[in-house]
Amino acid sequence: MSTSRNRRRLGMGLISIAALLGIWQAGASLVGKDIILPSPYRVFVELIALAPTADFAAAVGGTFARGLEAFAISTLAGSVAGFASGRFDLVRAALAPLLTTIRATPVLALILLALLWFPAGFVPVFAAFLMAFPVMAASATEGAKAAPAELLEMAALFQVPPRRVLFELRIPAAFPFFAAGARASLGLSWKVVVAGEVLSQPRFAIGTGLQSSRLLLETPRVFAWAFAAILLCGLAEWLFGRLVAGKSFRGL
Amino acid sequence: MDFRLSGIRKSFGSLEVLGGIDVEMDRDELIVILGPSGCGKTTFLKIVAGLDRAFEGGREGFDDSSFSFVFQDHRLLPWKSAVDNALFALSGTDIERSTAMTRIDRLIRLSGLDGHERRPVRELSGGMRQRASLVRAFCRHADVLLLDEAFQSVDLGRKRELMRLFLGIREIEGGAAILVTHDPWEALWLADRIVVLSDRPAKVVDTFDVDIPRDEREAGMDRVARLERRLSSALMGVRLGPDA
Repeated sequence: MSTSRNRRRLGMGLISIAALLGIWQAGASLVGKDIILPSPYRVFVELIALAPTADFAAAVGGTFARGLEAFAISTLAGSVAGFASGRFDLVRAALAPLLTTIRATPVLALILLALLWFPAGFVPVFAAFLMAFPVMAASATEGAKAAPAELLEMAALFQVPPRRVLFELRIPAAFPFFAAGARASLGLSWKVVVAGEVLSQPRFAIGTGLQSSRLLLETPRVFAWAFAAILLCGLAEWLFGRLVAGKSFRGL
Repeated sequence: MDFRLSGIRKSFGSLEVLGGIDVEMDRDELIVILGPSGCGKTTFLKIVAGLDRAFEGGREGFDDSSFSFVFQDHRLLPWKSAVDNALFALSGTDIERSTAMTRIDRLIRLSGLDGHERRPVRELSGGMRQRASLVRAFCRHADVLLLDEAFQSVDLGRKRELMRLFLGIREIEGGAAILVTHDPWEALWLADRIVVLSDRPAKVVDTFDVDIPRDEREAGMDRVARLERRLSSALMGVRLGPDA
Protein backbone atom coordinates (compact mmCIF):
# COMPACT_ATOMS: atom_id res chain seq x y z
CA MET A 1 0.00 0.00 0.00
CA SER A 2 2.70 2.43 1.05
CA THR A 3 5.00 1.25 -1.78
CA SER A 4 2.33 1.91 -4.39
CA ARG A 5 1.68 5.34 -2.84
CA ASN A 6 5.42 6.07 -2.98
CA ARG A 7 5.49 5.00 -6.63
CA ARG A 8 2.55 7.28 -7.43
CA ARG A 9 4.29 10.16 -5.64
CA LEU A 10 7.54 9.53 -7.51
CA GLY A 11 5.66 9.32 -10.79
CA MET A 12 3.90 12.61 -10.11
CA GLY A 13 7.24 14.25 -9.24
CA LEU A 14 8.79 13.01 -12.50
CA ILE A 15 5.80 14.24 -14.51
CA SER A 16 6.13 17.64 -12.83
CA ILE A 17 9.88 17.83 -13.65
CA ALA A 18 9.17 16.76 -17.26
CA ALA A 19 6.50 19.46 -17.58
CA LEU A 20 8.91 22.15 -16.27
CA LEU A 21 11.61 20.99 -18.69
CA GLY A 22 9.05 21.01 -21.49
CA ILE A 23 8.00 24.59 -20.73
CA TRP A 24 11.64 25.61 -20.46
CA GLN A 25 12.50 23.92 -23.77
CA ALA A 26 9.51 25.57 -25.47
CA GLY A 27 10.60 28.98 -24.11
CA ALA A 28 14.20 28.43 -25.27
CA SER A 29 13.02 27.38 -28.75
CA LEU A 30 10.77 30.44 -28.93
CA VAL A 31 13.56 32.83 -27.87
CA GLY A 32 16.17 31.04 -29.98
CA LYS A 33 19.18 32.66 -28.32
CA ASP A 34 21.38 30.85 -25.75
CA ILE A 35 22.56 34.14 -24.33
CA ILE A 36 18.99 34.97 -23.22
CA LEU A 37 17.56 31.53 -22.44
CA PRO A 38 19.61 28.42 -23.20
CA SER A 39 17.85 25.08 -23.70
CA PRO A 40 17.87 22.45 -20.92
CA TYR A 41 20.13 20.25 -23.06
CA ARG A 42 22.66 23.09 -23.51
CA VAL A 43 22.71 23.70 -19.76
CA PHE A 44 23.11 19.96 -19.09
CA VAL A 45 26.10 19.80 -21.47
CA GLU A 46 27.60 22.85 -19.71
CA LEU A 47 27.10 21.26 -16.30
CA ILE A 48 28.72 18.00 -17.44
CA ALA A 49 31.66 19.99 -18.76
CA LEU A 50 31.94 22.02 -15.57
CA ALA A 51 31.48 19.24 -13.03
CA PRO A 52 34.86 17.45 -13.36
CA THR A 53 36.94 20.64 -13.03
CA ALA A 54 38.89 21.38 -9.86
CA ASP A 55 37.42 24.89 -9.69
CA PHE A 56 33.90 23.50 -9.64
CA ALA A 57 34.70 21.07 -6.82
CA ALA A 58 36.39 23.83 -4.82
CA ALA A 59 33.49 26.21 -5.42
CA VAL A 60 30.87 23.64 -4.39
CA GLY A 61 32.96 22.69 -1.36
CA GLY A 62 33.37 26.34 -0.37
CA THR A 63 29.67 27.10 -0.69
CA PHE A 64 28.74 23.88 1.12
CA ALA A 65 31.04 24.77 4.02
CA ARG A 66 29.62 28.31 4.24
CA GLY A 67 26.04 27.09 4.05
CA LEU A 68 26.69 24.51 6.75
CA GLU A 69 28.44 27.07 8.95
CA ALA A 70 25.60 29.56 8.60
CA PHE A 71 23.03 26.84 9.23
CA ALA A 72 24.84 25.53 12.32
CA ILE A 73 25.29 28.97 13.88
CA SER A 74 21.75 30.15 13.14
CA THR A 75 20.19 26.88 14.32
CA LEU A 76 22.14 26.84 17.55
CA ALA A 77 21.73 30.53 18.35
CA GLY A 78 18.11 30.61 17.15
CA SER A 79 17.21 27.53 19.21
CA VAL A 80 18.70 28.87 22.42
CA ALA A 81 17.43 32.44 21.99
CA GLY A 82 13.98 31.35 20.76
CA PHE A 83 13.52 28.73 23.47
CA ALA A 84 14.58 31.17 26.19
CA SER A 85 12.25 33.75 24.68
CA GLY A 86 9.35 31.29 24.80
CA ARG A 87 10.07 30.44 28.42
CA PHE A 88 10.82 33.87 29.86
CA ASP A 89 8.89 37.06 29.13
CA LEU A 90 11.90 39.26 29.89
CA VAL A 91 14.03 37.49 27.27
CA ARG A 92 11.17 37.79 24.79
CA ALA A 93 10.88 41.52 25.49
CA ALA A 94 14.63 41.94 25.07
CA LEU A 95 14.78 39.97 21.82
CA ALA A 96 11.65 41.33 20.13
CA PRO A 97 13.14 44.63 18.80
CA LEU A 98 16.24 42.81 17.53
CA LEU A 99 14.22 40.16 15.71
CA THR A 100 11.83 42.74 14.23
CA THR A 101 14.76 44.82 12.96
CA ILE A 102 16.50 41.82 11.41
CA ARG A 103 13.26 40.63 9.78
CA ALA A 104 12.54 44.07 8.32
CA THR A 105 16.06 44.64 6.95
CA PRO A 106 16.42 43.75 3.24
CA VAL A 107 18.92 40.97 2.67
CA LEU A 108 20.88 43.09 0.17
CA ALA A 109 21.34 45.85 2.73
CA LEU A 110 22.71 43.27 5.16
CA ILE A 111 25.14 41.91 2.59
CA LEU A 112 26.37 45.39 1.59
CA LEU A 113 26.94 46.30 5.24
CA ALA A 114 28.68 42.99 5.88
CA LEU A 115 30.97 43.73 2.92
CA LEU A 116 32.21 46.75 4.82
CA TRP A 117 32.81 44.84 8.02
CA PHE A 118 34.00 41.32 7.19
CA PRO A 119 36.35 39.46 4.83
CA ALA A 120 34.69 38.20 1.60
CA GLY A 121 34.50 34.58 2.76
CA PHE A 122 32.55 35.42 5.90
CA VAL A 123 30.06 37.87 4.36
CA PRO A 124 27.71 35.16 3.02
CA VAL A 125 27.83 33.30 6.36
CA PHE A 126 26.99 36.44 8.30
CA ALA A 127 24.14 37.43 5.97
CA ALA A 128 22.69 33.89 5.99
CA PHE A 129 22.96 33.71 9.76
CA LEU A 130 21.03 36.96 10.16
CA MET A 131 18.31 35.82 7.75
CA ALA A 132 17.92 32.31 9.20
CA PHE A 133 18.24 33.23 12.88
CA PRO A 134 14.76 34.83 13.25
CA VAL A 135 13.13 31.89 11.45
CA MET A 136 14.75 29.39 13.81
CA ALA A 137 14.09 31.59 16.84
CA ALA A 138 10.36 31.91 15.98
CA SER A 139 9.99 28.12 15.74
CA ALA A 140 11.91 27.54 18.97
CA THR A 141 9.72 30.12 20.75
CA GLU A 142 6.63 28.14 19.74
CA GLY A 143 8.38 24.92 20.74
CA ALA A 144 9.09 26.24 24.21
CA LYS A 145 5.33 26.33 24.82
CA ALA A 146 4.69 22.90 23.34
CA ALA A 147 5.12 20.81 26.49
CA PRO A 148 1.59 19.75 27.56
CA ALA A 149 0.46 21.34 30.82
CA GLU A 150 -0.67 17.99 32.22
CA LEU A 151 2.81 16.46 31.75
CA LEU A 152 4.40 19.49 33.42
CA GLU A 153 1.88 19.07 36.24
CA MET A 154 2.89 15.41 36.55
CA ALA A 155 6.58 16.38 36.72
CA ALA A 156 5.79 18.97 39.39
CA LEU A 157 3.88 16.41 41.45
CA PHE A 158 6.80 13.96 41.32
CA GLN A 159 9.17 16.85 42.16
CA VAL A 160 11.33 16.15 39.11
CA PRO A 161 14.34 18.51 39.09
CA PRO A 162 14.02 21.44 36.61
CA ARG A 163 17.09 20.32 34.61
CA ARG A 164 15.51 16.95 33.89
CA VAL A 165 12.16 18.56 33.08
CA LEU A 166 14.01 20.74 30.56
CA PHE A 167 16.01 17.97 28.89
CA GLU A 168 13.55 15.11 29.16
CA LEU A 169 10.21 16.87 28.75
CA ARG A 170 10.34 20.43 27.42
CA ILE A 171 13.04 19.94 24.76
CA PRO A 172 11.68 16.61 23.41
CA ALA A 173 8.19 18.16 23.28
CA ALA A 174 9.66 21.07 21.31
CA PHE A 175 11.54 18.81 18.90
CA PRO A 176 9.02 19.03 15.99
CA PHE A 177 9.28 22.83 16.19
CA PHE A 178 13.10 22.72 16.23
CA ALA A 179 13.04 20.39 13.22
CA ALA A 180 10.60 22.59 11.26
CA GLY A 181 12.61 25.73 12.07
CA ALA A 182 15.90 24.07 11.15
CA ARG A 183 14.47 22.82 7.85
CA ALA A 184 13.25 26.33 6.94
CA SER A 185 16.51 27.96 8.00
CA LEU A 186 18.50 25.37 6.02
CA GLY A 187 16.72 26.29 2.77
CA LEU A 188 17.12 29.97 3.51
CA SER A 189 20.82 29.61 4.41
CA TRP A 190 21.72 28.25 0.94
CA LYS A 191 19.89 30.98 -0.91
CA VAL A 192 21.40 33.81 1.13
CA VAL A 193 24.89 32.26 1.10
CA VAL A 194 24.87 32.11 -2.72
CA ALA A 195 23.45 35.66 -2.93
CA GLY A 196 26.16 36.85 -0.53
CA GLU A 197 28.82 35.11 -2.60
CA VAL A 198 27.60 36.82 -5.78
CA LEU A 199 28.24 40.19 -4.15
CA SER A 200 31.27 39.44 -2.00
CA GLN A 201 33.11 37.23 -4.52
CA PRO A 202 35.06 34.90 -2.24
CA ARG A 203 37.69 32.79 -4.00
CA PHE A 204 35.91 29.43 -4.04
CA ALA A 205 32.16 29.83 -4.30
CA ILE A 206 29.18 28.98 -6.49
CA GLY A 207 28.11 32.62 -6.26
CA THR A 208 31.48 33.73 -7.63
CA GLY A 209 31.08 31.27 -10.53
CA LEU A 210 27.60 32.65 -11.19
CA GLN A 211 28.81 36.25 -11.22
CA SER A 212 31.92 35.54 -13.36
CA SER A 213 29.81 33.65 -15.92
CA ARG A 214 27.26 36.48 -16.01
CA LEU A 215 29.98 39.06 -16.61
CA LEU A 216 31.31 36.96 -19.50
CA LEU A 217 27.74 36.61 -20.84
CA GLU A 218 28.01 32.80 -20.57
CA THR A 219 24.32 32.30 -19.80
CA PRO A 220 24.37 28.47 -20.10
CA ARG A 221 27.16 28.45 -17.50
CA VAL A 222 25.12 30.77 -15.23
CA PHE A 223 22.33 28.20 -15.42
CA ALA A 224 24.81 25.38 -14.77
CA TRP A 225 26.10 27.10 -11.61
CA ALA A 226 22.53 27.77 -10.50
CA PHE A 227 21.74 24.09 -11.01
CA ALA A 228 24.73 23.16 -8.89
CA ALA A 229 23.36 25.39 -6.11
CA ILE A 230 19.91 23.80 -6.43
CA LEU A 231 21.37 20.28 -6.29
CA LEU A 232 23.47 21.20 -3.25
CA CYS A 233 20.43 22.61 -1.48
CA GLY A 234 18.37 19.52 -2.39
CA LEU A 235 21.11 17.21 -1.15
CA ALA A 236 21.40 19.09 2.16
CA GLU A 237 17.64 18.98 2.70
CA TRP A 238 17.56 15.27 1.91
CA LEU A 239 20.41 14.61 4.35
CA PHE A 240 18.64 16.68 6.99
CA GLY A 241 15.43 14.74 6.43
CA ARG A 242 17.32 11.46 6.91
CA LEU A 243 18.93 12.79 10.08
CA VAL A 244 15.66 13.90 11.60
CA ALA A 245 13.59 10.87 10.50
CA GLY A 246 12.83 8.51 13.34
CA LYS A 247 13.91 11.03 15.95
CA SER A 248 10.55 12.68 16.31
CA PHE A 249 9.14 12.57 19.81
CA ARG A 250 5.69 11.59 18.67
CA GLY A 251 2.68 10.73 20.73
CA LEU A 252 1.94 14.00 22.46
CA MET B 1 -6.29 12.56 62.38
CA ASP B 2 -3.13 13.45 60.44
CA PHE B 3 -4.70 14.98 57.33
CA ARG B 4 -7.75 17.20 57.23
CA LEU B 5 -9.71 18.65 54.31
CA SER B 6 -12.52 20.88 55.47
CA GLY B 7 -15.26 22.63 53.57
CA ILE B 8 -13.54 22.17 50.20
CA ARG B 9 -15.39 24.17 47.53
CA LYS B 10 -14.38 24.60 43.96
CA SER B 11 -16.03 26.27 40.99
CA PHE B 12 -15.12 26.63 37.34
CA GLY B 13 -16.73 29.94 36.44
CA SER B 14 -20.39 29.64 37.32
CA LEU B 15 -20.19 25.82 37.55
CA GLU B 16 -19.88 24.71 41.16
CA VAL B 17 -18.10 21.36 41.19
CA LEU B 18 -17.30 20.74 44.85
CA GLY B 19 -19.90 22.01 47.28
CA GLY B 20 -18.07 21.74 50.60
CA ILE B 21 -16.32 18.42 51.25
CA ASP B 22 -14.99 17.38 54.65
CA VAL B 23 -12.62 14.43 54.85
CA GLU B 24 -10.11 13.48 57.53
CA MET B 25 -7.64 10.64 57.38
CA ASP B 26 -4.79 8.96 59.24
CA ARG B 27 -1.24 8.63 57.99
CA ASP B 28 -1.69 4.93 57.14
CA GLU B 29 -5.32 4.92 56.05
CA LEU B 30 -6.74 3.93 52.67
CA ILE B 31 -9.79 5.97 51.80
CA VAL B 32 -11.90 5.33 48.76
CA ILE B 33 -13.91 8.23 47.39
CA LEU B 34 -16.90 6.77 45.61
CA GLY B 35 -19.17 8.89 43.48
CA PRO B 36 -20.89 9.18 40.14
CA SER B 37 -18.87 10.02 37.04
CA GLY B 38 -18.23 13.71 36.60
CA CYS B 39 -18.98 14.65 40.21
CA GLY B 40 -15.58 16.28 40.75
CA LYS B 41 -13.56 13.39 42.19
CA THR B 42 -10.51 14.20 40.05
CA THR B 43 -10.73 17.87 40.99
CA PHE B 44 -10.80 16.84 44.63
CA LEU B 45 -7.67 14.68 44.21
CA LYS B 46 -5.83 17.55 42.49
CA ILE B 47 -6.65 19.78 45.44
CA VAL B 48 -5.35 17.12 47.85
CA ALA B 49 -2.13 16.84 45.78
CA GLY B 50 -1.65 20.60 45.82
CA LEU B 51 -1.90 20.77 42.02
CA ASP B 52 -4.93 23.04 42.29
CA ARG B 53 -4.62 25.87 44.78
CA ALA B 54 -7.63 27.88 43.63
CA PHE B 55 -10.24 26.53 46.02
CA GLU B 56 -12.05 27.51 49.18
CA GLY B 57 -11.67 25.56 52.40
CA GLY B 58 -8.94 24.10 54.58
CA ARG B 59 -6.19 21.67 53.56
CA GLU B 60 -4.12 20.68 56.57
CA GLY B 61 -1.29 18.22 57.20
CA PHE B 62 -0.21 17.85 53.58
CA ASP B 63 2.35 20.63 53.31
CA ASP B 64 5.49 18.62 54.07
CA SER B 65 4.20 15.43 52.49
CA SER B 66 5.46 13.70 49.38
CA PHE B 67 2.92 12.53 46.81
CA SER B 68 2.58 9.88 44.20
CA PHE B 69 -0.28 9.88 41.73
CA VAL B 70 -1.90 7.44 39.32
CA PHE B 71 -3.52 9.79 36.82
CA GLN B 72 -6.70 8.78 35.04
CA ASP B 73 -5.16 9.95 31.75
CA HIS B 74 -1.83 8.21 32.59
CA ARG B 75 0.35 11.28 31.90
CA LEU B 76 3.33 9.24 30.75
CA LEU B 77 6.05 10.69 28.54
CA PRO B 78 5.06 8.96 25.29
CA TRP B 79 8.58 8.81 23.85
CA LYS B 80 9.98 7.09 26.96
CA SER B 81 9.58 3.48 28.03
CA ALA B 82 7.73 2.35 31.16
CA VAL B 83 11.10 1.97 32.92
CA ASP B 84 12.30 5.44 31.89
CA ASN B 85 9.00 6.99 32.92
CA ALA B 86 9.41 5.44 36.35
CA LEU B 87 13.04 6.65 36.56
CA PHE B 88 11.89 10.13 35.54
CA ALA B 89 9.42 10.18 38.43
CA LEU B 90 12.11 8.92 40.82
CA SER B 91 14.61 11.59 39.78
CA GLY B 92 13.20 13.92 42.39
CA THR B 93 14.05 11.48 45.18
CA ASP B 94 17.42 10.47 46.62
CA ILE B 95 16.94 6.78 45.81
CA GLU B 96 20.04 5.07 44.31
CA ARG B 97 19.71 4.08 40.66
CA SER B 98 20.46 0.41 41.34
CA THR B 99 17.83 0.28 44.09
CA ALA B 100 15.39 2.09 41.82
CA MET B 101 16.01 -0.40 39.02
CA THR B 102 15.51 -3.40 41.31
CA ARG B 103 12.25 -1.91 42.50
CA ILE B 104 11.06 -1.02 39.01
CA ASP B 105 12.02 -4.45 37.59
CA ARG B 106 10.02 -6.17 40.29
CA LEU B 107 6.97 -3.98 39.68
CA ILE B 108 7.27 -4.44 35.92
CA ARG B 109 7.23 -8.21 36.44
CA LEU B 110 4.34 -8.13 38.90
CA SER B 111 2.28 -5.85 36.68
CA GLY B 112 2.78 -8.16 33.69
CA LEU B 113 4.64 -5.56 31.64
CA ASP B 114 7.79 -7.66 31.27
CA GLY B 115 8.77 -7.89 27.63
CA HIS B 116 7.28 -4.45 26.98
CA GLU B 117 9.16 -2.43 29.57
CA ARG B 118 11.65 -0.94 27.08
CA ARG B 119 9.15 -0.02 24.35
CA PRO B 120 8.13 3.63 24.05
CA VAL B 121 4.87 4.11 25.88
CA ARG B 122 3.18 5.44 22.72
CA GLU B 123 3.45 1.92 21.29
CA LEU B 124 1.66 0.30 24.25
CA SER B 125 -2.05 -0.47 24.51
CA GLY B 126 -4.31 1.50 26.86
CA GLY B 127 -4.21 -1.25 29.50
CA MET B 128 -0.42 -1.45 29.34
CA ARG B 129 -0.15 2.30 29.74
CA GLN B 130 -2.38 2.06 32.79
CA ARG B 131 -0.01 -0.53 34.25
CA ALA B 132 3.03 1.60 33.37
CA SER B 133 1.35 4.45 35.21
CA LEU B 134 0.79 2.19 38.24
CA VAL B 135 4.43 1.05 38.15
CA ARG B 136 5.56 4.68 38.14
CA ALA B 137 3.32 5.56 41.07
CA PHE B 138 4.11 2.45 43.15
CA CYS B 139 7.88 2.63 42.68
CA ARG B 140 7.96 5.98 44.44
CA HIS B 141 7.57 5.73 48.17
CA ALA B 142 5.29 8.63 49.11
CA ASP B 143 3.49 9.83 52.21
CA VAL B 144 0.27 10.12 50.23
CA LEU B 145 -0.60 7.99 47.22
CA LEU B 146 -3.46 9.27 45.09
CA LEU B 147 -5.18 7.02 42.59
CA ASP B 148 -7.64 8.37 40.06
CA GLU B 149 -9.73 5.52 38.61
CA ALA B 150 -6.45 3.63 38.70
CA PHE B 151 -7.75 0.16 37.86
CA GLN B 152 -10.29 1.03 35.19
CA SER B 153 -8.54 0.21 31.92
CA VAL B 154 -7.42 -3.30 32.80
CA ASP B 155 -9.27 -6.61 32.54
CA LEU B 156 -10.84 -8.18 35.59
CA GLY B 157 -8.13 -10.78 36.25
CA ARG B 158 -5.32 -8.27 35.91
CA LYS B 159 -7.30 -5.78 37.98
CA ARG B 160 -7.42 -8.20 40.91
CA GLU B 161 -3.68 -8.86 40.59
CA LEU B 162 -2.87 -5.16 40.50
CA MET B 163 -5.11 -4.42 43.47
CA ARG B 164 -3.38 -7.22 45.42
CA LEU B 165 -0.04 -5.74 44.42
CA PHE B 166 -1.19 -2.33 45.60
CA LEU B 167 -2.34 -3.72 48.96
CA GLY B 168 0.90 -5.69 49.30
CA ILE B 169 3.00 -2.59 48.75
CA ARG B 170 0.88 -0.69 51.26
CA GLU B 171 1.34 -3.44 53.81
CA ILE B 172 5.12 -3.13 53.52
CA GLU B 173 5.48 0.61 53.12
CA GLY B 174 2.38 2.07 54.71
CA GLY B 175 1.40 5.61 53.92
CA ALA B 176 -1.93 7.22 53.27
CA ALA B 177 -3.81 6.57 50.07
CA ILE B 178 -6.90 8.03 48.46
CA LEU B 179 -8.48 6.17 45.60
CA VAL B 180 -11.34 7.67 43.64
CA THR B 181 -13.63 5.39 41.71
CA HIS B 182 -17.20 4.94 40.61
CA ASP B 183 -16.98 1.16 41.07
CA PRO B 184 -18.52 0.03 44.42
CA TRP B 185 -16.77 -3.35 44.26
CA GLU B 186 -13.37 -1.72 43.91
CA ALA B 187 -14.22 0.38 46.95
CA LEU B 188 -15.36 -2.63 48.97
CA TRP B 189 -12.30 -4.64 48.09
CA LEU B 190 -9.72 -1.99 48.93
CA ALA B 191 -10.98 0.58 51.40
CA ASP B 192 -10.43 1.09 55.08
CA ARG B 193 -13.13 3.72 54.75
CA ILE B 194 -15.48 4.64 51.92
CA VAL B 195 -16.65 8.21 51.42
CA VAL B 196 -19.64 8.52 49.10
CA LEU B 197 -20.01 11.76 47.20
CA SER B 198 -23.15 13.23 45.71
CA ASP B 199 -23.51 14.44 42.15
CA ARG B 200 -22.33 17.98 41.31
CA PRO B 201 -21.82 20.10 43.36
CA ALA B 202 -20.27 17.17 45.23
CA LYS B 203 -20.82 16.77 48.96
CA VAL B 204 -20.19 13.85 51.29
CA VAL B 205 -23.50 11.95 51.55
CA ASP B 206 -22.29 9.02 53.62
CA THR B 207 -19.18 7.42 55.10
CA PHE B 208 -18.63 3.69 55.69
CA ASP B 209 -15.91 2.16 57.84
CA VAL B 210 -14.97 -1.17 56.27
CA ASP B 211 -13.89 -3.34 59.18
CA ILE B 212 -14.13 -6.64 57.30
CA PRO B 213 -10.72 -8.40 56.97
CA ARG B 214 -9.52 -8.15 53.38
CA ASP B 215 -9.31 -11.89 52.84
CA GLU B 216 -13.02 -12.12 53.67
CA ARG B 217 -14.10 -9.48 51.18
CA GLU B 218 -15.53 -11.78 48.56
CA ALA B 219 -18.88 -11.57 46.82
CA GLY B 220 -21.60 -13.61 48.51
CA MET B 221 -20.26 -13.28 52.06
CA ASP B 222 -22.90 -11.92 54.43
CA ARG B 223 -21.08 -8.90 55.81
CA VAL B 224 -19.85 -7.94 52.36
CA ALA B 225 -23.32 -8.31 50.87
CA ARG B 226 -24.83 -6.16 53.63
CA LEU B 227 -22.26 -3.44 53.12
CA GLU B 228 -22.68 -3.65 49.38
CA ARG B 229 -26.43 -3.12 49.77
CA ARG B 230 -25.84 -0.08 52.00
CA LEU B 231 -23.31 1.31 49.52
CA SER B 232 -25.63 0.72 46.59
CA SER B 233 -28.52 2.43 48.31
CA ALA B 234 -26.27 5.40 49.15
CA LEU B 235 -25.23 5.58 45.51
CA MET B 236 -28.82 5.10 44.31
CA GLY B 237 -29.83 7.95 46.57
CA VAL B 238 -27.18 9.98 44.90
CA ARG B 239 -28.37 9.09 41.46
CA LEU B 240 -32.11 9.36 42.09
CA GLY B 241 -31.96 12.30 44.45
CA PRO B 242 -32.80 12.46 48.16
CA ASP B 243 -36.55 12.14 47.63
CA ALA B 244 -36.40 8.93 45.60
